[in-house]
Amino acid sequence: MDEFFRIAALRPAGGGRAGVSRGRENRELLRRMLAAELEHNHLGRHLVLRSRIPGPGARAVGPRALRLLLPGAGPEAADPRNWIFLDTETTGLAGGTGTYAFLVGLARWEDDALVTEQFFMQDHSEEPSLLAAVARRLAGRPVLVTYNGKSFDWPLLETRYRMTRAAAPAAPAAHLDLLHPARQIWRFRLGSLALAELERHVLGLEREGDIPSSAIPGYYFDFLRGGPAEPIGAVFRHNRMDLRGLALLAGRVAEMLEDPERAGCEAAELYGLSRILQRRGESSLAGAACERALERGLPEEAERCALRELALHARRARDFGRACELWQKLVGDPRWGRLACEQLAVHYEHRARDPAQAARLVRRALVELEESARRGSIGREQYLGWHRRLRRRLERLARKLQG
Amino acid sequence: MDLSFPAKSAGSTGVGEIVRELAVRDPSREVITAVHQIQAREAQWADMPGWVRPELVAAYREKGIEQLYSHQAEAVERVRRGRNVVVVTPTASGKTLCYNLPVLNAILENPDTRALYLFPTKALSQDQLDELHDLGRRLSDRLGVFTYDGDTPSDARRAVRRQGHIVISNPDMLHTGILPHHTKWTRLFENLRFVVIDELHMYRGVFGSHMANLLRRLRRIADFYGTPPQFIASSATIANPGELAARLLEAEVDVVSADGAPRGQKYFVFYNPPVVDRFLGIRRSYINETYRLARQFLERGLQTIVFANTRLHTEVLLTYLQQAYPRAPGAPQTICGYRGGYLPRERRQIERGLREGEIRAVVATNALELGIDIGSLDVAVLAGYPGTIASTWQRAGRAGRRTGASCAVLVASSRPLDQFIVRHPEYFFGASPESAYIRPDNPEILVNHLKCAAFELPIRDGEAFGGIDLPALCERLSEAGYLHRSGDYWHWTQESYPADAVSLRSVSSDNFVIIDETEAPQVIGEVDFTSALTTVHPKAIYIHAGQQYHVERMDFEQRKAYVRRVEVDHFTQAIRYTQIKILKVEESQPAPGPAVKAHGDVLVRSQVVGFKKIKFFTLENVGSGKLELPENEMHTTSYWVKLERALLDGLPFSTSEKQDGMFGLLHALESVACLLVMCDRMDLGATIGEGLPEAGAAPGWEGIPGMSGPADAPVFFEPTLHLYDAYPGGIGLSEPLYRCHDDLVAGTRELIAGCPCESGCPSCVGPAGETGSRAKEVALALLERLTAR
Repeated sequence: MDEFFRIAALRPAGGGRAGVSRGRENRELLRRMLAAELEHNHLGRHLVLRSRIPGPGARAVGPRALRLLLPGAGPEAADPRNWIFLDTETTGLAGGTGTYAFLVGLARWEDDALVTEQFFMQDHSEEPSLLAAVARRLAGRPVLVTYNGKSFDWPLLETRYRMTRAAAPAAPAAHLDLLHPARQIWRFRLGSLALAELERHVLGLEREGDIPSSAIPGYYFDFLRGGPAEPIGAVFRHNRMDLRGLALLAGRVAEMLEDPERAGCEAAELYGLSRILQRRGESSLAGAACERALERGLPEEAERCALRELALHARRARDFGRACELWQKLVGDPRWGRLACEQLAVHYEHRARDPAQAARLVRRALVELEESARRGSIGREQYLGWHRRLRRRLERLARKLQG
Repeated sequence: MDLSFPAKSAGSTGVGEIVRELAVRDPSREVITAVHQIQAREAQWADMPGWVRPELVAAYREKGIEQLYSHQAEAVERVRRGRNVVVVTPTASGKTLCYNLPVLNAILENPDTRALYLFPTKALSQDQLDELHDLGRRLSDRLGVFTYDGDTPSDARRAVRRQGHIVISNPDMLHTGILPHHTKWTRLFENLRFVVIDELHMYRGVFGSHMANLLRRLRRIADFYGTPPQFIASSATIANPGELAARLLEAEVDVVSADGAPRGQKYFVFYNPPVVDRFLGIRRSYINETYRLARQFLERGLQTIVFANTRLHTEVLLTYLQQAYPRAPGAPQTICGYRGGYLPRERRQIERGLREGEIRAVVATNALELGIDIGSLDVAVLAGYPGTIASTWQRAGRAGRRTGASCAVLVASSRPLDQFIVRHPEYFFGASPESAYIRPDNPEILVNHLKCAAFELPIRDGEAFGGIDLPALCERLSEAGYLHRSGDYWHWTQESYPADAVSLRSVSSDNFVIIDETEAPQVIGEVDFTSALTTVHPKAIYIHAGQQYHVERMDFEQRKAYVRRVEVDHFTQAIRYTQIKILKVEESQPAPGPAVKAHGDVLVRSQVVGFKKIKFFTLENVGSGKLELPENEMHTTSYWVKLERALLDGLPFSTSEKQDGMFGLLHALESVACLLVMCDRMDLGATIGEGLPEAGAAPGWEGIPGMSGPADAPVFFEPTLHLYDAYPGGIGLSEPLYRCHDDLVAGTRELIAGCPCESGCPSCVGPAGETGSRAKEVALALLERLTAR
């Protein structure tokens, strides 16, 4: 064993967590501090903390919002009291089989309060019973609501069920991952799409004494080795705030989708909503929302995107005059300029039959393409594709002009 | 001058003619030291076994395969009986059928069957995919064959995991992508019946030790899903395929080695460049001679592969040949380079060009030694002995038509090993190839994989992992904060993903990216950390695809080297400085001399301290420069001989002459050591240190061996000659060297005494001009004492 003392692979891991040990009384301390209960089942035991967060209560989801958020969901999905909100705290973000969900928070609406249940493993040996308890709570819930759960929380839980050979809960009939609509709606308004940021800016909620997410795995590893209980208390609180934010945000998004005007949407939000409508194939509603957003004035980047959307929309509607008018506004735009020039060139070549003007526009597009390449804002493959396409068009136009 | 080549493949008659011409021009046999003929051989046939499903029989028949070679039949029968099998046969003997047939048959019998194919490189898996797709199309539309590697798009990965009957991957992907996410691969692991490991001989040394641990992890996961797989491996000819397979798989393995494939006539020529200065023992440059020979073959329209031992020489030879046959404007390039560091797409193009015959010559490193399908060529010219008998045969095997003659030429460099081989052809043609050693319980490697294993599946009490005391090690990992014990299990308690920190191929997982800034910045290649220090240091001339680049600066933090295209008449060679310190003596014994032989643990520090500029063609030294680069440090194992004071004091030479003699002796010892323990020269490092406990120092030239020599060596009192394992933790060469100390010094004495030079040459103690005029004399005097009875 001697040789093992020297080798690098055994040097203590970062974070100075090695060697913390204050016995096992920290578990007792945590239970008392939180007033949490030990719950037992056929697979063992784990800790549960139940709380009620008084709030506005659930409001029914309108038919349009339901269609947009959960296409294909059954009628029972319209009642948010049937929804279950889920958020996990994990030992890392890397994923894979060595990442554990040590705290699983669930919440549902009950009358005018949000009822939360948080399942915590005091030790790895409590994972099987925790997972069994979570599976039981999820059973029969038609809608699961998460924030980034489609790519993180849910696959992680699936992994945990497989690892412990526990029967995985049937995937809920519908999974609403709010990250996706949130990204569409608030991308232009907010720099960060972290849940806490949305709470602050969209719901007007402030979190007091919250902890940074990045510290959470470390707190848990410390706790496992007998470290302090207080930081784990803070993790429970953090998780409850996430659940609260999630539930309220779900309500707000549904409201906005159902009737943007009544919900008092800002222009940028309206533009974001138009993108969701577009994706769900509600083209005319999308166009109208986009127009309204543009009229009310959008931030610069959003405005350009909106102009492009509308131009594409007009083209689809075969309203070429309108499309040209919109593309004209995008000539010279660093992102959409070359697309605008190309679209205009198509128009001048095939509809307006003005090859000279079309050729000028293609040359302009080529200049803009070179600009993008110089800025490094275009990939090599993409650049080559554009280049080939534009050159071909230019050659054809040159032949037309000569002939 | 006619720039175009003669008609495509003028036929193999040319080969015999050229060989005859060469032999006629050198009646004294000083240059052509051997012409070994390998006779054509008929195929040994066996019937297709009765249990093979009719649709599979039909698919193979469509491809023109109605019968099996005898070794194929034996292999598939053994697989059928549930044995682990390793098939040992030369290139192009139909080894893929040995695993494809039983695997496809099992899938046809039960469509749930899954198989995992592991190839040491991505390039090799591409070939397999094509072959399996071809068979698959003839069998059924439902056969799922997919590659899963770094290039697999993320949206395609789901399909691979669910529908892949055969998943083709590589160890690196298994290590970072599959095992740590095994729950996503439930379908594969629950039905994993076969694991195919191709090119098994590649898994030696450090890579092999990693592989053995990776397979331990794979077996743990397979056990978790309740399906221990059967292994089918293939290997090029090495001395101990069965032993290597058994150590890698930690299971019993049957060896199938009788080759039943046919082959055409083949010549193997040994070529020793003519001596130009008998006194200094200087021969014509073997690189230039290789170039000349390659031209002779190309002039006859023979498709030729040239192997060089370093990237640098690949590029130098490529430059020469491309200059000799400039391509017509607009015509495609018919002479290409091929080595690690070329981008995958470039490589695929070259492979195709070779198969289809459009590319007439390729200059390659050992990257093409592997089973990449480039068809068979007419001629292989090897610039320098590849270092092992096994890889010499493999490279030579690249030339070999099923019908008609082919030829391989080994051009010896002036390195001792080359000279020994080329002057003793009977040794080469009579000897068995090398053994492949691995040391799966190398502590550094094992601990890293144990971390990965814990991440993949908690470690259960009573489990075994290699030959270590697992509970004690888990305890240590727990103290260091990596694991936590709960119930009967040890769990991973880190945020990080341990596989990311472990590279299977080298000590450090860092690669340097090379960026060409001549115009818009563009990535032109990558080079691993260790090579980066010697190839892309500031002011180096880096050669890529025949183009020279000047390294402008090196960004250590970001692991980037910025280069600019240049055209100069020279290349550069790094100068490395090595220090060694003994940490622990494992065994030690007095030896004649008086001297002390020992082996144990050492700390090796090395640093690139400068570089030399070397002119093309003449190989003159035309300048040098100093460099300040970070030190590289590793723990490894070493065998050493301490020369006691009485030995040195008793010799009638000056201190500096004694130093010269010791460096000369070390130079020769290293070569003989490689032969004795049958390892690659790259696996051993050699340096001189002082006795315990202070570290001594010795400068050594990196790159072209034969240039080594002392510079300002300090005065030694009890100098210690070290031959150390060139990998951290060691790969098991030091103890065998210690055991054969007597043979080693005796053999070294024979090498030096038998060398025809007067006072030292690159082939024995090093070039006279650089080792000092009496180095040979002193080395022999030392050896006389060391071999005294």
